Amino acid sequence: MTTLLIAAAKAPVIDYKGISPLFAVAGGAVIVLMAALIRGRFAQRVLVPFLTVGALGAAIGLSIWNWHTGDSRPIVEGALAIDPLALGLSLLFYITGLATVAFAWRSRALRESGTGEFFGLMLGSIAGMTILGSAENLITLFVGIELLSIPLYVMCASDVRRETSLESGLKYLVIGSVGSATLLYGLALIYGATGHTGFAEINNAIGNSVNLTDPLLLTGIALAAAGLAFKASVAPFHAWTPDVYEGAPTPVTAFMAVATKTAAFAVILRFFLEALVSAQEQWAPALAALAVITIIVGNVGAIAQNSLKRMLAWSGVAQAGYMLAGVVVGTQLGLQATAFYLAMYLFMNLAAFGVVIARERVSEHGDGLKSLEGLGSASPLLAWPMTIAMLSLAGFPATAGFIGKFYLISAAVDGNWAWLGVMIVVGSMLSLVYYLRVIAVMWMTPLKIELPGRPRRARREVQPVAGWSPEADPRAQPEVLLVTLIMAAATIFFGIVPSPLFHLAHDVGTSISALFS
Amino acid sequence: MNVTWYLVLSAFIFAMGAAGVLTRRNPLVVLLCLELMLNAGNLALIAFSRMWGNADGQIFALVVMVVAACEVVVGLGIIVGIFRRRIPEDVDALSELRG
Repeated sequence: MTTLLIAAAKAPVIDYKGISPLFAVAGGAVIVLMAALIRGRFAQRVLVPFLTVGALGAAIGLSIWNWHTGDSRPIVEGALAIDPLALGLSLLFYITGLATVAFAWRSRALRESGTGEFFGLMLGSIAGMTILGSAENLITLFVGIELLSIPLYVMCASDVRRETSLESGLKYLVIGSVGSATLLYGLALIYGATGHTGFAEINNAIGNSVNLTDPLLLTGIALAAAGLAFKASVAPFHAWTPDVYEGAPTPVTAFMAVATKTAAFAVILRFFLEALVSAQEQWAPALAALAVITIIVGNVGAIAQNSLKRMLAWSGVAQAGYMLAGVVVGTQLGLQATAFYLAMYLFMNLAAFGVVIARERVSEHGDGLKSLEGLGSASPLLAWPMTIAMLSLAGFPATAGFIGKFYLISAAVDGNWAWLGVMIVVGSMLSLVYYLRVIAVMWMTPLKIELPGRPRRARREVQPVAGWSPEADPRAQPEVLLVTLIMAAATIFFGIVPSPLFHLAHDVGTSISALFS
Repeated sequence: MNVTWYLVLSAFIFAMGAAGVLTRRNPLVVLLCLELMLNAGNLALIAFSRMWGNADGQIFALVVMVVAACEVVVGLGIIVGIFRRRIPEDVDALSELRG
């Protein structure tokens, strides 16, 4: 009896309500894998994607059910906690997952790798992101980042008969693992300097029992920052991004570009603003330098690209630089602005990737810029979302990207980092060169009747029917078109009426109350 | 024994692993070097755990071992896939993606 009591007293307190979104995603991964064992077209084409959507929908519902404002609430002792930051960014992961199901539904990668395996891995990766968003401990941080990355390596290589897909998988594995090992060594040194693995204890120790100029601590912070920069594709650790984005199946690229970047920023926000906020004067200048390098390198690199996937990869590098500026500021306003920008980034990037996927499947130019030639007159339903996405990424007024950049710049100015705000503006100006080129190709090249030939890279996904015409393209893939239109509409809607998301971002800002408001 | 020696050794192993990843061309050797880098982190964690007298570092090291095993499994799987496609097993020859 006494031993039982002692065991009960030592067991960790688990808040099952708070952890339920994670259970929905991780349990969903297992159910999806099991259901995929059922043979037959119906199970593979309908049941498994439906279960994936169900798991993600359940996770969205449970996250909203758990929503509360204010400080974080521990759900598994000191390992995981939920607060508006974790819940709000988890919603972004789940929405990206839903969009990826639609994007991948007719893709070749799905047939090559098996429906259950593909969606099971995707749900596993999303579970890792959920853990990462609510990590309160160096150990859960590392587990989350690996649970996110390892399924993603397999998803990149899931088009197993295409050499570029395998190559991108191996490249991502090697470079991602170097990043993880660097991060691990940094975390080990931080543990060595402070003697704790919990974020709150580390923050308490820094400045009290540990000197701010302790070489062990500073080396640890530098190595951990480098490891996280690999994951968020921050320059000069970005070199893998264009290659991996180009080689991976495009639905996986869309998932990586949006969800992985959001997860990387979730952990960067949490790690630097919660565990290391006492050492802000030490890390802020270093991260500011990285942000400037990233904005310049990303925008200059994107200019010469002819592949849309590579162009979006470089643009993603540049956008990571803008968001890093929000982290550097280190105030509640900076946290709000970064979270807000991440949401905007989701809408505009998924709209752009939707168009790339729809065109890639029918055009002989694959994901090349030429595949968009004459799209304005051939299928305006695809040309408009792309136009909106490009204008929004460049930061045009009345689009979501403008409000996001405005918010980031005002946070930078407010936190006495005005020169970083200037850098964001300079970066946006540079970025017009390549974003406007895409729009010019779509609307200003004459329409050429495209013969339904076999594309150079991707095998034809949609069989041409008798009397095939360019106008028939969007109707052949209604799910991709639907997601693209929804995302483009959201980009415009939140560009004009941003207040609902402002309120959410304000809630997110309250999750770390120790920050200056 | 002083914890410094363990740290010097782990830093040396980490540097050796990093140098191997950068210079070796065979993907299997690259995977081995990645393992060296992760295990250097483990050694540092265990040394610090002993220095501070708490078990956090040891638990961390156990978790890292599991993760490292998963990573190698995935890496070997992709290498087998590449082998089946008869692509030369040389990381420098993997250069379809560039620009």
